[in-house]
Amino acid sequence: MSELASKKVVLDGLWYNNGVLVQMLGMCPTLAVSTNAENGIGMGLATTGVLLGSNVIVSVIRKVIPQDVRIPAYIIVIAAFVTIVDLLMNAFFLELHKTLGIFIPLIVVNCIILGRAEAFASKNGVFHAMLDGISTGVGFTLALVVLGSVREILGAGQWWGMDVMGASFHPAISMILPPGAFIALGFIMAGTKGINLRIEAAAAAKAKESPAAPAGAEPSPA
Amino acid sequence: MSDLVKMGLILTVVGGVATGFMAATEEFTRDRIAEAKRRQLQEALGKVLPEGFDNQPAQDVVKLTDARLNRSGKPVNFYVARKGGVPLGSAFTVTAPDGYSGNIDVLVGVSQDGVISRIEIVAHAETPGLGDKMVKTDWPKSFEGKSLGNPVKWGVKKDGGTFDQFAGATITPRAVVAAVHRGLEVFAERRGEILAPSTTSGGEATAVSGGPGQGGEKP
Repeated sequence: MSELASKKVVLDGLWYNNGVLVQMLGMCPTLAVSTNAENGIGMGLATTGVLLGSNVIVSVIRKVIPQDVRIPAYIIVIAAFVTIVDLLMNAFFLELHKTLGIFIPLIVVNCIILGRAEAFASKNGVFHAMLDGISTGVGFTLALVVLGSVREILGAGQWWGMDVMGASFHPAISMILPPGAFIALGFIMAGTKGINLRIEAAAAAKAKESPAAPAGAEPSPA
Repeated sequence: MSDLVKMGLILTVVGGVATGFMAATEEFTRDRIAEAKRRQLQEALGKVLPEGFDNQPAQDVVKLTDARLNRSGKPVNFYVARKGGVPLGSAFTVTAPDGYSGNIDVLVGVSQDGVISRIEIVAHAETPGLGDKMVKTDWPKSFEGKSLGNPVKWGVKKDGGTFDQFAGATITPRAVVAAVHRGLEVFAERRGEILAPSTTSGGEATAVSGGPGQGGEKP
């Protein structure tokens, strides 16, 4: 595949097909752990590790796995990687492991991971599967960090654990509680959609002006 | 039929290989995880125990079961700090079952005469921003120097006691204050058992003459 395809894989994973903000997958960990930015990055990186591993392995074994048993085979691969990540985090990042707790084993049932295995890795080569795993994971991490930051700043007056809003600021505790997760995520999704609509409109206008330009060319950096 | 066998075989192979990798990782991380847990316990004990001990409290343990310490009926470790074999105090975990959400585990450090040296909230699931102020503020410090008779009335201010509650969260501090109080009661009642010379040092005579007998501490 060409360089262009690689670029599309990366941009799709990071932004145009962002697991959380566009595909709306993996809502459980997204809503549950995003009470602050640090949890967001921890959960995001753990998920990225699993995604990268499972995507690569699924891509490698895609030709030997019969259609009928592919889902159980993928689940075994994913569960193995989750166990490995869980053990490694327990050994090397004990504090983070304690805060994320039950949500690490639950990465197994994060739909983003099975979704990428089924929709992408099982149909593409190892290199692109790897790129897709990394970019989808980083896209997931970014979404969690943004959501965690918004909730931490509004809900606790802090960012990365530091006071940022001054003493007169009264944190809105509901932002740290579950309703705040839904509210903040709704606004962030709306913002993403708005930006994407603008990009599309700009691309369409550009295509009209110069019909010779190849369709689907780079969107203007918005 | 042969398809079925093939599928079964393939799944078996995938499962076997995956298990192999997991086992290898477990093998690789086992010692490190045990070490990290041990260090964490040691750190926590060092924080709450009275200063100046020269033994290994993590290994100087008395196990007691009491419904006031936790409702699960599990024995609680009382880690004993000694200097030259003489007990300085002890640290133990008491579980408050009546927090706002789930159990609150509090590690309580007391001197040998039952005065709190320090407490640490080790595990909790209280509401972020409300109940969890108990770990994010200096609130646990308000327990230092307290004992069963001081203050006379244990409780949060709302209930006429001396401990602060937080804005919007009374249940959490109330639960912690009550749990620490219950822990002190247990310690006072069974102080003799807890602070008894460690099994290997064999009685008062050796406890005095034995000096800083590090060797005798390990079971």
